[in-house]
Amino acid sequence: MTVSETDYQPEPKQGDSILEIRNASVTFDMDRGESRVLDDVDLDIERNEILGVVGESGSGKSMLASALLDAIVDPGVLYGDITYHPPDGSPIDILDLDKQGLKELRWEEISMVFQGAMSSFNPVRKIRTHFVETLDAHDYDIDEGIERTEGILEDLYLDPDRVLDSYPHELSGGMKQRALIALSLVLEPEVLVMDEPTAALDLLMQRSIISLIQEIKEEYDLTIVFITHDLPLVADIADRIGVLYAFEFVELGPTGEILENAAHPYTRLLLKSTPNLEAPIETMQPVEGSAPDPVNVPSGCSFHRRCPLATQECRDVDPGPYDAGGSHVSHCHHWESAREEIPMSYDLKEIDTGSESAKIGKGDTASRTASAEPVVSLDDVEVHFEKEKGFLDMFDEPDVVEAVDGVSMDIYERDVVVLVGESGCGKTTLGKTAVGLQEPTGGSVNYRGHDIWDVKAGDGDGSISWDEIRRSLQIVHQDPGSALNPHRRVKASLEAPLKRWNDDLDGNDRKQRILSLLEHVGMSPPEDYIDRYPHQLSGGEQQRVALIRAMLMNPDVIMADEPVSALDVSLRVEMMDLMIQLQDTFNTSYLFVSHDLSNARYIAEKTGGRIGVVYLGRLVEIGPPDEIIHNPQHPYTKALCWATPELGADNDDDESPIREIDIPDPTNPPSGCRYHTRCAKAREVCRQQDPGAFDIPDDDLHEAACFRVLDDHEYWDSESITEEDELVAQGDD
Amino acid sequence: MILNKYASTMVTIDWRIRRLGQAVFTVWAVITLSFALVRMLPGNMMGAMITRLARQGINPARARELVEYRMTIDPDAPLLPAYLSYVSETLQGNLGQSVFYSRPVVDVLAEALPWTLFVLSWAVFISFFIGISIGALMAYWEGGKLDIGLTSYAVLMGSIPFYVLAILLLIFLSYRLGWFPTGGRQPIATDPGFNLTYISGIVTHAALPVLSMLVASGVASLGMRGNSIRVLGEDYLRVARLRGLSDITISTQYVARNAVLPMYTTLLISIGEMFGGSIVLEQVFQYRGVGWYMLSATHQRDYPLMMGGFMVITVAMVIALLLADLTYGYVDPRARRSQ
Repeated sequence: MTVSETDYQPEPKQGDSILEIRNASVTFDMDRGESRVLDDVDLDIERNEILGVVGESGSGKSMLASALLDAIVDPGVLYGDITYHPPDGSPIDILDLDKQGLKELRWEEISMVFQGAMSSFNPVRKIRTHFVETLDAHDYDIDEGIERTEGILEDLYLDPDRVLDSYPHELSGGMKQRALIALSLVLEPEVLVMDEPTAALDLLMQRSIISLIQEIKEEYDLTIVFITHDLPLVADIADRIGVLYAFEFVELGPTGEILENAAHPYTRLLLKSTPNLEAPIETMQPVEGSAPDPVNVPSGCSFHRRCPLATQECRDVDPGPYDAGGSHVSHCHHWESAREEIPMSYDLKEIDTGSESAKIGKGDTASRTASAEPVVSLDDVEVHFEKEKGFLDMFDEPDVVEAVDGVSMDIYERDVVVLVGESGCGKTTLGKTAVGLQEPTGGSVNYRGHDIWDVKAGDGDGSISWDEIRRSLQIVHQDPGSALNPHRRVKASLEAPLKRWNDDLDGNDRKQRILSLLEHVGMSPPEDYIDRYPHQLSGGEQQRVALIRAMLMNPDVIMADEPVSALDVSLRVEMMDLMIQLQDTFNTSYLFVSHDLSNARYIAEKTGGRIGVVYLGRLVEIGPPDEIIHNPQHPYTKALCWATPELGADNDDDESPIREIDIPDPTNPPSGCRYHTRCAKAREVCRQQDPGAFDIPDDDLHEAACFRVLDDHEYWDSESITEEDELVAQGDD
Repeated sequence: MILNKYASTMVTIDWRIRRLGQAVFTVWAVITLSFALVRMLPGNMMGAMITRLARQGINPARARELVEYRMTIDPDAPLLPAYLSYVSETLQGNLGQSVFYSRPVVDVLAEALPWTLFVLSWAVFISFFIGISIGALMAYWEGGKLDIGLTSYAVLMGSIPFYVLAILLLIFLSYRLGWFPTGGRQPIATDPGFNLTYISGIVTHAALPVLSMLVASGVASLGMRGNSIRVLGEDYLRVARLRGLSDITISTQYVARNAVLPMYTTLLISIGEMFGGSIVLEQVFQYRGVGWYMLSATHQRDYPLMMGGFMVITVAMVIALLLADLTYGYVDPRARRSQ
């Protein structure tokens, strides 16, 4: 299709940089002092490479992105030199450009894709207008530009006419993000800076966009700087990876080197703290401590306070770049010993192979046997939402969203079930229904054999009260910041459940209990934390308080809705460990909701729980994590496993297992098996018949709702329906 | 997809009909309420009218007929038939007969309405125009001296009742300086028609009532300032700047366009509010509009005229809100489907 004008040099040549950054610093003047959010960064970006930049939130990675376009927002000030080498012509010093020069550089030479595609379009203008006005502002030929746009949109698996004539709100998040990528390519730039372009998207969409990025890079001859907090995500596509910590690069090298032979303690610890599907869970450990404040970065090596290898030298001398072989540089005095001192999960796996049986935490929960009575039992539960209608409208057939449709599931004593699925698939609604926060429109939810909605209505047999059920089923929300009342101190928030349920305790007892719990979850000194307001706590601390608040009720089941997704990558394992530890202390069961299969696997494997895969209101597969990840039966589960970014693993089999990138409209779900519109294995029978849950012979806890499980089903004689559709999102090679 | 498109237009039609239904319901409720007030209010409004007529020497039977003619409510009929005939008369545009002017209420109000609308539309237009411009300026120089100065102005304007401003304007501009007439709605000595003196006379008579309604610009400018500052922080604005769009496109199509959206409903609601305010305003300027007639009808116990004015103001309010709802989708594409 349209190839940009530079058809020379398809191979990246050593030393051929397109961007050279020297001593770049960004400072903000704040009341507390000067805040340095990019600290003396040197970086060469090679022509036609994909450079992955990885860093936790607040590591300066967005500042780096903005600096490349000289677009630091006021009152930030950018110092240093950034030189751009156009394919032909003389180098351009970006920071010296005047307004006109910047206009010609931005978007025409260096373009950018922002994190928030949701808010990157003007809501009152059509997508087409955005393209036209961009072409117009840069005096490009509009007809030709729109033609090019249509080509780009098609390459991104979008229907150009439909997308261009839509308003931004009419497109789904994934479509908007792809349209935004197209918008950034419309002026045929040389460099594309992507700042967390997939952070707000679902796993499958994320993975699909990642493979698209690789395609468009080839097609449009781009240099891509991909900025993310998620190391495994870039591992697949990046040629080189740079790791940012405390506003400077700590390590930079080829992707394989960084993943397998990292030479900086931070990178190694970060890799170990990232949950993934392959590495044994016992090797996953949190990085202790937290990232430094931009006003007060430690002297010497900025990582020394959290580093297990720190010596006096690290405290005094800022480590320069050490050459760690090839083009791999590490800013660590002890880069050589770091490789030995901090063993990676892969090394451990080799050591562990002999003692496979000695796995910790694995093993079935004792109570989950056929005879045991479940604590919460869902029987054919349906939750159908009617779309909002006013009066005078009541005679119409309302639009119904089948958020949950016919799900049966049991949660036992000290059990853990993790629900995974894409956003909008009904997993949160299912979770809320299980803990009695959402009344089902069909089926029943039972707590120890009592239908909880009958009990609430007063139709129970009187042996259990609604209050007791309400106390036993608790929830921990996704965003701890909004789950805590901002006007109440920690003490007041935590006292409320005690006052209500343990009224025999006096004020002093209550305080003692809260103090000991705060200490227990690692918030010490607790006397200091107890009088704080939520905004004086970090995200992880807020989540701990929310967790304690739920625990104080002494509940039987806690539903935790994405409890770690608001936290930084390096803190997630720590939080999950804490939750698992609290389960032991308080004897509860968990129902986790997560969109991330790696996190789901970590929790489920460590507690001997199960993973349930939800798709469009149905539970399509449930089973132990080992089975779900290594022996997935449902094609959707396979797609989720495929979409979960892997560290180090070379995905040779890069063929996408889904036919459609976009999830169908939940108000009008597909007939038969709901997944058949996206399933690569769909046959005629899937369109007509709805598969029930079938037991997988290998494991009595493993069930999947797919005909393919049965060897003698008519499915195998049915005609395939996949040929008629083109395989979408599949690599062209 | 075709099916989808079809479904979405269906929803839009349904929603409009529903909204229209709500408006019709409100009007019906007002008619019913006014009937109930006349029939059931303590003090017996109709009885008082009959007694008054009887005192003027008209025999009671004739007086009853007269009252029925004026109020379009038969005082002797049972509740339901009286109510039904009142509703049907009202819907046909028969609001009764003014006692004081001895003319149909509709005629009196129809003659007054254009004057009120003339003043109000200019008041709304000018005050929102000024308010939005000032608000945009304040947002552009947020935190600067101009912002602080204009914010003080806006707060001052927002806190002065319009009738106080009206009296101040009257004292200084009309009585002291003599720049504007002190009352009335048109020059006395000129011929009504398309001639310069008459038109300029109308404008000078309307000027002070319009000016005193400018207090609304204070609230509008503060609203606009807040909206604009919010829009200035949006991601799409940053992307637009990086895309190299011209400053004019950014300020009009990106900032102003999005900041004005929430103001649109406020604007139409304020038309309704001003209608209510016109009762006092027109009294201050002796401007013979709907409000003036309504107040004087109250003084003269001209119940049919008073009820008629009440009806006109309510219906105007309902129409303004209906318009706001029905047309909002044209201003904000997001509202087209989600409503």
